[in-house]
Amino acid sequence: MSDLTANLARTLNPKTVVVVGDKRMNGYMWLRNMQHFTGSVYSVQVDPNEIPGIEEMGVTNFTSLADVPGDVDYVLCAVPRQIAPRIIAACVEKGVSGVALFTSGFAETGEEEGAALQSELGKIARDGDLALIGPNCMGVYNAKLGVRQSGEQPTGEAGPVGFISQSGTHAINFSLTGAAQGVRISTSISMGNAEVLDVPDYVDYLAADPDTKVIAMYVEGTKDGRRLLESLKRASQNKPVVVWKGGVTEAGARATASHTASLASSTAIWDAVVRQAGAIATESLDDTIDVLKALLFCKPASGRRVGLMAMTGGQSVVITDAFERAGQKVPRLTEGSYKKLAEFFNIIGGSYQNPLDMGGTIGFGGQSDHLQRLLDILEEDDNVDAIAMELASGFLARRWQADPSSLDTLLDLLVKHRERSTKPFLTTLHPGHLEEIAAQARAKVVERELPVFHSFERAARALSRATDHWLREL
Amino acid sequence: MAAKTNTNGIIEQARSEGRSVLSEVEAKQLLASAGIPVVEAKLAATADEAIAMASEFGYPVALKIVSEQITHKSDVGGVELNIGDEESVRAAFDRITSAGKKADAAAKIDGVSVQRMAEPGVEVITGMTMDAQFGPVLMFGLGGVLVEVLKDVAFRVVPITARDANQMVHEIQGFPILEGHRGQEPSDVAALEELLVQLSDFIEAHPDVAELDLNPVFAYPKGAVAVDARIVLSDQS
Repeated sequence: MSDLTANLARTLNPKTVVVVGDKRMNGYMWLRNMQHFTGSVYSVQVDPNEIPGIEEMGVTNFTSLADVPGDVDYVLCAVPRQIAPRIIAACVEKGVSGVALFTSGFAETGEEEGAALQSELGKIARDGDLALIGPNCMGVYNAKLGVRQSGEQPTGEAGPVGFISQSGTHAINFSLTGAAQGVRISTSISMGNAEVLDVPDYVDYLAADPDTKVIAMYVEGTKDGRRLLESLKRASQNKPVVVWKGGVTEAGARATASHTASLASSTAIWDAVVRQAGAIATESLDDTIDVLKALLFCKPASGRRVGLMAMTGGQSVVITDAFERAGQKVPRLTEGSYKKLAEFFNIIGGSYQNPLDMGGTIGFGGQSDHLQRLLDILEEDDNVDAIAMELASGFLARRWQADPSSLDTLLDLLVKHRERSTKPFLTTLHPGHLEEIAAQARAKVVERELPVFHSFERAARALSRATDHWLREL
Repeated sequence: MAAKTNTNGIIEQARSEGRSVLSEVEAKQLLASAGIPVVEAKLAATADEAIAMASEFGYPVALKIVSEQITHKSDVGGVELNIGDEESVRAAFDRITSAGKKADAAAKIDGVSVQRMAEPGVEVITGMTMDAQFGPVLMFGLGGVLVEVLKDVAFRVVPITARDANQMVHEIQGFPILEGHRGQEPSDVAALEELLVQLSDFIEAHPDVAELDLNPVFAYPKGAVAVDARIVLSDQS
C-alpha cells in the first residue's frame, strides 16, 4: 500500500505527463488542458490521422508509451474501453506512477462487459502498484503545476482547498464557481468509479498536503465506509473537512421487524458519519462554497452571538430572522456599547438595538468615520462573537458604478477592520435588479479576500456551520 | 440484574436449534452479562412456574409470550401487564398461550416470560442495525409513537466514543423532554450515554449480532433500564 501511496503523490505532482489517445473530435481537449503545465507533456497516439494535429500543437507524439523518454508520472488515458486494459498494462510495464482513465463504459453502465473490463484493468493496476484514478473520470487538477481537468481552470498559485469528486462535472464546476468567489483549489481529483483508489486514499493524501488547508468533497458512496470514516476522522483533526453528499437514495423498503433498521436511511447514516468524523455536511455546490468562504476568510468564532449591520429597517428585520433561523443568536449589546452609540447614531429612520439599522448613520456609504466607529463598537462588545454586514442595497450599487472609488474606499476600511478584528466578519451583497453591477462589486470584494455572500440566509447558514466546526469537541 | 452466566452458550444454543432470533429472555441474559441494565425476565413453561417466578420478582409483573414465530407479541394478545396476584398470573398465562396458538396454530410456544413491572420512566429507544456501507450503526431516540412518526433519532457508526454518545443524546429534537419538561424531574442523561457506550462495546464483542432493539428503555432521574430487548443473529456463513 505504501508504494501505491507514494505513486499517488507523484501522480498528483507530476513532472512528466503523457496523454494517450487524444483526438481532434474532442478538440485535443486533454493536451490543451496541459498547455500551462510546468513540466513536459507528450502524446501517445497511433492513428496517423490524429498525429499531425497533435504535432501542430507543438507536442511530441510517440506511437508507443515505451518510447516516451524518461520517467512518466501521470498518464491521462482517453482510449476506447476495449483497449484500456492493454494501455494500463503498458503503463505498469513503463513504470508510470499513476493513470487517470477518462474512458467510460465500465461498471457505471451496470452491464457485464463493462464491469468485467473494469475489474480486469483494476487487477493489472493493483498488481503493478499503479495509482489508477477512475475509470470514468476527469483526472487531476493541480493549480500550481498547471495540470487541469478543464481548459478554463486557473493556473499559477495553489489555492487552499483540496477537492475530491465522484463526478467530473462537479469537480470542474466547483473549481470554476469557487474560483469566481475566491475559493481556489490546491489539488482536485475527479475519482470516477474508484476502482483502485477510493475516497479515503485521496483524503489521506490531502490531509498530508501542505498546500491544502481545507478538504472538501462530493461523494455519492464508498466501497468501505469504515475506512472512509477513519480517514475523515484523522483528516479533520488538523483541517476542516466539508462533505457534500449526493444521491439521497434510500436502501428501499427493508423487510424487517427491527425499528432501528427501518429508521436507518442512507441520509441519516451519512449525516451521522459526517458528525462522528468531526466534518461538516453540506447539501449543494453553493452551500459547499459558502461554508468554505466562511472557513477560509473568517477568523474562528468563539460563540454564536452575532452583531448585525443592515442599511434599512426592513433589512434589519430580515437579517435578524436569517441568522436566528440558522441557529445563531442576535443578543442585546452591552450597556457600554449603547452609551457609545447614543453619542452619534442617527435614530431618525434608524435604530441600534442589534441589528444596527445604520443606513442613515453611515450616510449610505458616505460617512466612513461613522462606519468605522460602528465596527469598532461591535468588535469591542463582549456580547458579540461575529459580525455580519449588509454591504449595500440597489441604489448604492448604482453609486458605485458612477464612482468606483467609493467602493474601493469602503473596502479599504473593511479590510483594515478585518486585519484588526479577532472576530469573524461576513458581508452580503444581494443580486437585486442591478446584478451586473453587484457582480462587479462582488468580484472586488473577493479580490480583497473578504467573504461576501449572495444573501443573508446563505451568510447565516455558512457562519452557523463554520461555527459548529470552530466550537466542536474533538 | 442477572448473574453472569453462560452467555456464549445462548448464541450457540440458538444456532444449534437453527434459530436466528433470540427470545427476550435470552437477549436480556446476554445483555445483562455485559453489564447492560435490563429488567430481568425468566421463561416459565407452566403457570406454576410463572407464579413461582412472579413471587420471586415481586408484584406487579408482566407476562409475554415466548415463541420464535411470534414477533409482534402484543398484536396477538401475547402481552399482559400489571398483573397483581397469583390467580391473575395463572389466568394470564392461559390466555396468552391460547391466544398464541390461535394466532398461529403452527407456532411453537415455549411458554411465557415473567418479569417485574418496571416503574414508568421516560421512554427511549436504542438499537443497532447493519448498514451496507458502514457496518453496525447504533441508534438513539425517544420511544413510543414519536420514534415512528417523527423519526427523531440519532445514529453513529460502532464503535462510538463517550463524545459520540453525548452528541447522540443531545442532537435529537426531543432532548428537552429528557431535560425535564414542565416540571418533570430530568432524566439521567449520563446513564443513557453510558448505556450507548456499553451497547457499542457489546456489539463489538458479539459480531454474531446482526440486529438489536432495546425498546423501550425507561430513563429515570437516576439510571435507566431496558424493559424489552430483541436480538437477531446474522445468517451463519
